[in-house]
Amino acid sequence: MCAVFPGTEAALMEEGFTAPSEAPADGPLEHLVRRIRMGEVEAFADLITCTQARVLALAWRILGDRHLAEDAAQETYLRIFRSLHTFRMGERFEAWMVRIAANVCHDLVRKRGPLPVPMEALAILEGDAAPMGAEESILLDQRRALIRRALASLPQAERSALVLRDLEGHSTEAVARILGVRPATIRSQAASARAKVQVFCARLLKPTDGGRP
Amino acid sequence: MTVHVLDQLPLWVEGDLSGPEKTVVDQHLACCPSCCEAAENLRTSQAWLRDAMKSPFDAADHERLRQRVMDQVRSTPSRPVGRGFLRSSLLATAAALLLLATLTWAQRRHPTTSAPDPVPAVPGPGRALEAVQKPLPLQPALEAARVAALPHGRAQTARSESTGAPSRIEFQTADPTIRIIWLTQARPLPEPAPILEEKS
Repeated sequence: MCAVFPGTEAALMEEGFTAPSEAPADGPLEHLVRRIRMGEVEAFADLITCTQARVLALAWRILGDRHLAEDAAQETYLRIFRSLHTFRMGERFEAWMVRIAANVCHDLVRKRGPLPVPMEALAILEGDAAPMGAEESILLDQRRALIRRALASLPQAERSALVLRDLEGHSTEAVARILGVRPATIRSQAASARAKVQVFCARLLKPTDGGRP
Repeated sequence: MTVHVLDQLPLWVEGDLSGPEKTVVDQHLACCPSCCEAAENLRTSQAWLRDAMKSPFDAADHERLRQRVMDQVRSTPSRPVGRGFLRSSLLATAAALLLLATLTWAQRRHPTTSAPDPVPAVPGPGRALEAVQKPLPLQPALEAARVAALPHGRAQTARSESTGAPSRIEFQTADPTIRIIWLTQARPLPEPAPILEEKS
């Protein structure tokens, strides 16, 4: 049985993502970095254009809030610009950038405390899990809100591991390098997060059931 | 007794199991309806997760972010390249000053054999001003200027021993067009003032 979902790669490509292991070490981003380090500040706008979809999506998935994600993305780029001279040419720029973005998000979480919970998701949890007679689009929105609520309820470490591993498409080893922990820890955290999200989903499907047979 | 694989499923669903472990789980799923249903639920929840967490940002959000960042970047006084140059220049200057202080200290510990100027123990203010305004002798400085070109990042001193002329310290910075040249003249420490005994 194959564990890869159909359409997953296409969904990632839509967001401008390329698999880390397949990207060349000296790609267009590294070329832009060279130009910026030579003093061509306007090349930084090109760098933002190439990467902002990924940075914004990553920040939103970790933080769960649009405005916070925009602030985090802005701070990420300012940190990148300030510390671009410390980037070692020959490394993958994307991995370096994702590491900075994850650190910025964690700093924001530490400063602001627990992540905000989407209010629409709370409304669903307090009422019936499967509203009768609702239109399909409303059900879809409610389901998405529930999933976001589930993600927001996860501990920060599990949430980051799940986002980077399953949603951003990094390998377990790459996520471990980004977060500075062992790969076994990432495997454990991601598995725990998947199980918790599945319990939330089971609550939507069968309100009286725990979700496990 | 059947051993279920529910604990393995969250790893199995994203391919985090090793080859042998995956084989065991696959074989169990083929003959266990309850675990198979759990696996299907997990796959469904993962699909829902990916659907729910699609990025909500559009082109307008991207443009706004780019504008905000570039406005701040353009108003930043120090650029990455300029900062690196400034840092190396500061390091070179600090090294030159340290070298100068060391040489001055060494000269004061071992004063030259040439006769010191007759300086009173406590020079008056007029004398001190005169000493400050006294120009350096030109000829020894020109002699010391014949120091050969220095390698990168090296400092060298030249001093006319016979005349007690000023020392010349050159320091080549990382930038080949910038060389720090320091002329200094050490003066031996004045003799300690004699203690005057009061006449009783």
